[in-house]
Amino acid sequence: MASISLRNVVKKYGAATVIPDLNLEIEDEEFIVLVGPSGCGKSTLLRVLAGLEAIDGGDLMIGDRRVNDVPAAKRDIAMVFQDYALYPHMTVRQNMAFALEMRDLPASEINAKIDAAAKLLDIHPYLDRRPKALSGGQRQRVAMGRAIVRDPQVFLFDEPLSNLDAKLRGQVRAEIKTLSRQLRTTMVFVTHDQIEAMTMADRIVVMKSGVIQQVGTPEEVYEAPINLFVASFIGSPSMNFLPITLEGEQLRLAGGDSLPLDSGLSTGVSGPDLILGVRPEHFEVVPEGQGIPAEIMLVEPLGSDTLIHVRAAEQDLIARVSPDLRPVAGGSVFLRPIAGKAHLFDSATEMRLIGKNGK
Amino acid sequence: MSRKPSDAPWLDWVNVALLVLAGIIVMTPTAWMILSSFKPSHEVTAYPPTLVFSPTGENYATLTRQTPFLSYAVNSLIVTAGSTILGLLFGAPAAFVASWTRITWPAVVALMARMAPGTLFLLPWYVMFRQVDMIGSYWALILTHAVITLPIVIWVLLPYFDAIPRSIFEAAQVDGCSPFRIFRRIGLPLVSSGLAVSSILAFVFSWNFFLFALVLSNAQTKTLIAASFNFIGEGSTNWGGLMAAATIIALPPLILAIVVQRWLISGLTLGAVKG
Ligand SMILES: Nc1ncnc2c1ncn2[C@@H]1O[C@H](COP(=O)(O)OP(=O)(O)O)[C@@H](O)[C@H]1O
Ligand SMILES: [Mg+2]
Repeated sequence: MASISLRNVVKKYGAATVIPDLNLEIEDEEFIVLVGPSGCGKSTLLRVLAGLEAIDGGDLMIGDRRVNDVPAAKRDIAMVFQDYALYPHMTVRQNMAFALEMRDLPASEINAKIDAAAKLLDIHPYLDRRPKALSGGQRQRVAMGRAIVRDPQVFLFDEPLSNLDAKLRGQVRAEIKTLSRQLRTTMVFVTHDQIEAMTMADRIVVMKSGVIQQVGTPEEVYEAPINLFVASFIGSPSMNFLPITLEGEQLRLAGGDSLPLDSGLSTGVSGPDLILGVRPEHFEVVPEGQGIPAEIMLVEPLGSDTLIHVRAAEQDLIARVSPDLRPVAGGSVFLRPIAGKAHLFDSATEMRLIGKNGK
Repeated sequence: MSRKPSDAPWLDWVNVALLVLAGIIVMTPTAWMILSSFKPSHEVTAYPPTLVFSPTGENYATLTRQTPFLSYAVNSLIVTAGSTILGLLFGAPAAFVASWTRITWPAVVALMARMAPGTLFLLPWYVMFRQVDMIGSYWALILTHAVITLPIVIWVLLPYFDAIPRSIFEAAQVDGCSPFRIFRRIGLPLVSSGLAVSSILAFVFSWNFFLFALVLSNAQTKTLIAASFNFIGEGSTNWGGLMAAATIIALPPLILAIVVQRWLISGLTLGAVKG
């Protein structure tokens, strides 16, 4: 229900600068996922949005309002904390009613809102229980319920799924996404898990050391990562990187093997100090002579497909292959990047080189 | 408490031995006091102490006959309850703020005031209270006894507030709650057992404190414990009466301690074993 705009935001803890200079525009009703390794400043940024931390520079706008100096209590933002932060001495119903009581809503309206949220989240059966008597998954729902009843300008989530087991996580992930469609509220979701980011986001914000690396749709950050960091962070298993030298139309790999230059990769740049990036799913198995020879070290069948850990071009690589191939450890295959799917990076700047075709 | 397999049995014996030793140290004077209060006065100071004697209520009878014992007790109750409430009123918010801001130096100052010998305060207070003509008033006693209760409340409550995850207070902030309401609606209810522990400790320490009352009270506002010093006369101390008075004075804290011992124990070990 509100756009958010961060302009040259600076956040320091004492002498340590956690966010040096951050710019980000979040549109109304957008689902933004902040993703990055642990310690990169995601929670800090979220707490800045919530008003739990003051900023040391820049401007923070929510809607048309500059909120730099507006305390958390007056920002009309709801937040789901990593540990849920339910009020232990209150029942689920009281937890959900609390924020509404702070706004002096009449009891009838409060109850109506709680009932609606409870129905949406399926938490009716335990409205009168204390948080202590709930499972992790139930607590997580209550935390969301407490946010939903408020009908806030913005929802903030700080790794709300990290305390759930894997199966529940997948389920709640889908539910939150559905919920975001129904509620039509701006959402900022923090996670260190790139799968959560990919599956839920309208746009992903990839952060590293307090600096935004790339902002884009899940497709954009997956298909056109801006640098080595984003390329390795998004996607699982991670992208493979091979140092190469570009000699005319040939990519020369370490160990002497070479591959023909894919037309999409043609950049006009040549020489050493380049890195070829290929995702595991973007290797294809080819007949002898058409790809680089790879020795299979380890086989991980996932059912739908199989991961093979190989040694090729003096690198440890992972490729995702068809289970029908029946690879065995100790065997060997020939691998080649699928046309149009590989990336070239400058090893000095770590930036991806844009091909002549603009991709 | 279930026994862990690694616990060696001899540890239990050491435990028991230590408890017995502690019991002897604490109980001997207590038993002496209680027994003596039922002895005829001349037998109280006999050595070795007589264990077999015909108990008499004479000391208690003398006590109520010769002194306005009941009004002293009421005085004690007013001063103790007043200073405990005062301590809670200022100590609980102080502990909350100290815990939240992690600024503890005011609490340290309060503790140092508590640790300083009471005699340090006596002269300035006596002069101050005389200026405003408050010597002998309940308020003078209540205010001065807050020096006892306030540090207790602050220091007992601090770990209770520290044990509450900060995110709970932050959630309340985000929910639109003002700092004072956070304290009242979230903080206080979550430290309720700490409030019980600190009230009782403050009550007991204030109840047992005699120095300020000795100087700042008058005949009408004298507390029990200050009054009991009247029994120590020059040369002719009424030991039987003193023991009877001491027994009665010791009763309220004792009863309180028994009533809330479960809370007390969990409260005093908070931090050591986080539940
Ligand atoms: N209250 C604080 N005081 C000092 N440093 C902090 C504080 N909170 C976080 N930091 C530091 O800021 C950096 C970013 O932390 P955080 O935002 O929690 O990372 P993330 O949520 O991405 O894991 C970390 O290096 C962390 O040590
Ligand atoms: Mg975090």
